[in-house]
Amino acid sequence: MTSATPLAVLIGALGGQGGGVLAEWLVETASNAGYAAQGTSIPGVAQRTGATTYYVEVFPAPLAALGGRRPVLGLYPVPGHVDLVVASELLEAVRIVESGMVNPERTTLIASTARALTTIEKMVPGDGRVDPTHLQDVARAQCRRLVAFDMDATARDAGAVGSAVLLGAIAASGVLPFARGDYEAVVRDSGVGGDASLRGFAGGFDALGADAPGADASARADAPRADAAPDIVALGAARLTDYQDARYADLYRERLAPVDDAERAIDPRQENRGALTRETARFLALWMAFDDVVRVASLKCRASRFARVRREVGAQEGDIVRIVDHFKPGLPELAGLLPPALATRLVAWERRRQVRGRAPLALPLHVRADSVSGFIALRALAALRRWRRRGARYAEEQRAIERWLAAVQDAAKSDWQVAFELAQCGRLIKGYGATNERGKRNLAHIVEHLADGTRFATPAAHATAIRQAREAALADDAGAALDAALARHGAPPRPIVPVPIRWQRRPQQRAAEAANER
Amino acid sequence: VAYVGGYQGAPVSHLLDVMVQAKPYLAELGVHVEACANEASAAAMLGASIHYPLRGAVTWKSIVGTNVAADALSNLASPGVTGGALIVVGEDYGEGASVIQERTYAYALKSTLLLLDPRPDLGHMAQIVEEGFALSEASNMPAILQLRIRACHVRGSFVAKDNVAPPISAVHLLDDPADFDYSRLAHPPVTFRQEKLKSDERLPAARRAIVARRLNETFPGRRDDVGIILQGGLYNSTVGALQRLGLADAFGDAELPLLALNVTYPLVPEEIRDFCLGKRAVLVVEEGQPEFIEQDILATLRRHDVNTAIHGKDVLPKAGEYTVEVIARGLVEFLAGAAPDIALDAGRAWLEATARRRAAVTAALGAPLPPRPPSFCVGCPERPVFAALKLAQQELGPVHIAGDIGCHAFATFEPFSMGHSILGYGMSLASRAGVSPVMQRRTLAVMGDGGFWHNGLLTGVQSALFNRGDAVLVILKNGYTSATGTQEIISTPDDAQKDEALDKHESLVDRNRTIEDTLAGIGVQWLRTVNSYSVDRMRRTFKEAFTSDFRGLKVIIAEGECQLERGRRMKPWRAKLLKAGKRVVRVKYGVDEDTCSGDHSCIRLSGCPTLSVKPASDPLRVDPVATVLDGCVGCGLCGENAHAATLCPSFYRGEVIRNPNWRDRLAERLRRAAITLIQPA
Repeated sequence: MTSATPLAVLIGALGGQGGGVLAEWLVETASNAGYAAQGTSIPGVAQRTGATTYYVEVFPAPLAALGGRRPVLGLYPVPGHVDLVVASELLEAVRIVESGMVNPERTTLIASTARALTTIEKMVPGDGRVDPTHLQDVARAQCRRLVAFDMDATARDAGAVGSAVLLGAIAASGVLPFARGDYEAVVRDSGVGGDASLRGFAGGFDALGADAPGADASARADAPRADAAPDIVALGAARLTDYQDARYADLYRERLAPVDDAERAIDPRQENRGALTRETARFLALWMAFDDVVRVASLKCRASRFARVRREVGAQEGDIVRIVDHFKPGLPELAGLLPPALATRLVAWERRRQVRGRAPLALPLHVRADSVSGFIALRALAALRRWRRRGARYAEEQRAIERWLAAVQDAAKSDWQVAFELAQCGRLIKGYGATNERGKRNLAHIVEHLADGTRFATPAAHATAIRQAREAALADDAGAALDAALARHGAPPRPIVPVPIRWQRRPQQRAAEAANER
Repeated sequence: VAYVGGYQGAPVSHLLDVMVQAKPYLAELGVHVEACANEASAAAMLGASIHYPLRGAVTWKSIVGTNVAADALSNLASPGVTGGALIVVGEDYGEGASVIQERTYAYALKSTLLLLDPRPDLGHMAQIVEEGFALSEASNMPAILQLRIRACHVRGSFVAKDNVAPPISAVHLLDDPADFDYSRLAHPPVTFRQEKLKSDERLPAARRAIVARRLNETFPGRRDDVGIILQGGLYNSTVGALQRLGLADAFGDAELPLLALNVTYPLVPEEIRDFCLGKRAVLVVEEGQPEFIEQDILATLRRHDVNTAIHGKDVLPKAGEYTVEVIARGLVEFLAGAAPDIALDAGRAWLEATARRRAAVTAALGAPLPPRPPSFCVGCPERPVFAALKLAQQELGPVHIAGDIGCHAFATFEPFSMGHSILGYGMSLASRAGVSPVMQRRTLAVMGDGGFWHNGLLTGVQSALFNRGDAVLVILKNGYTSATGTQEIISTPDDAQKDEALDKHESLVDRNRTIEDTLAGIGVQWLRTVNSYSVDRMRRTFKEAFTSDFRGLKVIIAEGECQLERGRRMKPWRAKLLKAGKRVVRVKYGVDEDTCSGDHSCIRLSGCPTLSVKPASDPLRVDPVATVLDGCVGCGLCGENAHAATLCPSFYRGEVIRNPNWRDRLAERLRRAAITLIQPA
């Protein structure tokens, strides 16, 4: 009992991306052309930026040819029985693929290569992004034909809504029995987006038009960039000259030299292509250029920065752009510029204040970087650069850097991999204030308890332990994963950092007792 | 139909929206439209049909709305109705579901209500609506019309009928009230007689009308030894499943006969008997649990001594949505036993291939795909409140948080992951009443203004005040019931205020003080109103509320108008100004990449869709850096968080002045001239 079956189109989108408009356009196009069609969706709360789908069925023969009979159109996509899947976001395309809807013998998959990262990917302290190349590979293996292009960019170029681009791509795919003009007429009549929508439609249409069936538009767009590995040491030295002076860059090279020597000794044939020195150079440069108020002020008042802000806020010719910077230097950060003796006393006083229940002292500032007074203030702060070397923070950072470098050098004498893992722990140093403190404490703890290899059966196990601890430290900011990783490898958990605790009795009880006393 | 009412909620929000928007047209016909305060008030509205021959229709989200309406429903069903009363409910077990999965069917059973579950063909659904009123009148029973989410959002075409103006209406008024008639009160002793009437007269009358009007549909099949009885609403999916197994064509012509129950309560025993008679086995396709229909059919056949084997929940899943694939799997199992001569190889191969593909993709991915639940919109005024709450808890320790229904329930997802319980709409404050007495720290209840008016004022605030509960309540006053589609409520800023506002992007919820006045009137003594976006002030207010010596209910009102509504107001206004060449200031936040170190603390305090990460362009850095995407509406949360949490100094606020006036241009020229002198590259 075989007969023609409806053509099934499944649209995957994020709430608010216009999937509903697209489904409407499709149903309208089909109805205008005299075909039975039906669309449905499951908006619910997913319309608030969550993942959602829209589903459209079109009967492949015009109603006039059916002799008065009406096909029963479905409301659910059926796994393996979908002709066309379109997704405005790559991860959502793969989500549909994983649900089994896509069939390698039947389904054309049109997906945007653009990623809208999920919160879970973004909130990881390190890098939590899912690999987009892998996503495309998984998708490609499952469908009859994959067409992948950056729909966001196409829409942006046309000044159009994303749904117009998608409709153009659907039209060009040839899965549905309608002519280009049928679709365009519906877009024009809908009044959504006006001419821009038609430009977007054309952009989507051309993205497939230029693409022979079976080929894959993304292959061209995402060809690997040809730039060679940059010279990290030169970059680092330049960074530090800009940060402090040529003498500081010399110190950087001096610090690297023993690491380089050790690497050459343990890996004389350069099997690792100098990765230890390179990674040490990378994180050493970033650490030596630690961010303090002086550095921030210096970066914020550059002409290149003003131009970048103009670009980022989308300013056009003739627009005036005002910039307000959000600064909140805390007392320890300001004290860091003072000589160690004075800074220690100031920080101790601040700690006593906090123990008494006072809020930390900090200076919340809104600096208008583009106003004359704001700009002069930034320049003045940046000019404190020459005082930096005498400051407490400078001394403290150099000590911590030396400890880490010594551990790397030491390890390089016996095992390249262990040294390499330790070098990469430099990645833990990031951020400002409390974040920066936490990173330094985590690194110090790893260096102290995992750098010594006597506890491990093999150097490989030792390297693994360091790598796992590092990855755990980048997984969550509370440090639960790091403590678990440390415990697994026989190292003690991180010491509890003393924080001022204010004892507070149960408010209910306190009030009740007060009432009794009366 | 003389009157229409309801309370919004997916998937039937749009139904009420359309009615409210169509008020002027409906008024021409004399149809009264009411946006009710909650489902109880909507159900009570149907009381108009007890005495008067008025047709009335109300709508709400089930099961939750039906729960709220239950009291009025019982008291409506007992005396019964004269005019047709129809309740349109949306019930949803699938991907889009947002509430617990329970069946409205139980209410139809216990209160003796008609339950309609129409085949999801647009023309047929419209016809069953009309039939529902007639059936309600013929049986004096109120009727519930149940729709699934995909049927609610279906887009297609059907032939419409002309409007019919009601004979008695807001245009053609009644001169006098009905005579006093004790038998129409839900009050003893007449309730005893009413209970008898249900079974002795109303149900039989309903069954007679169902048969006479052929409301249930039988679709003959090519063979007669096996068949399927199904809820009307599952017809398309069941036919879809038969098609995939090669047992039906595109037009629904099937191998097996089908009985589609467009009225699922009451069933007509004779219809069931006649369909099953002579069949070896029948499959009952019934979504949700318990399987009321299947049990009813089993009892009916036993009574009529029909020995047809009945299958249902033994081959189909007890819980969850019945998609085409789910039904197909059940059908394969059913037919394997009941009609082994039917070839199902192709169908089996399809189901196995599907399972294999899924497993292959899961294996290829290596790790589960990160989920993408809904979240606060870009610029939402509720997000900053949870940022402040996260910071306050870092200082005070974690507190018990009683959650509620509304957009603020998105705080249960990353990056906030907050909330210990959700007991119902407006129930948060009431749900912590047993927690507060045993907890060292004070508890917090979160409530939206929608929940406050729906239920929270009485069940929560009044109860806490009366019992001297010591708790903190934060009311997110955004001016609308936003989660259901930004419907207006009594505390919504009115149109005149919106028209007068010079800046259309400005939050106007502070102009309507109904909530504050109500709270003061009922006796709340500790009340603070804080601008939602002032994270630091909000944090300090939370701290004060949790540690204050004041014993009793402490209410914080977080004030900030729903960004969706402000956006709708602002976009046309800004477009008009730009078109006219007038001065427009647009705000967008940004991140200075070279001072961002890629720790992403800012994201863990926000979760804004436009605050994302990108690869660092600095070749020295390996971790991605924060970036603000184009959709930023300049709400200011990034900057507020940077200050409140002492984050890195990377955030800047960019103000773009389009069509600047001469003062802007002069000041800019002077500034540029001065700065250029001393600016480094």
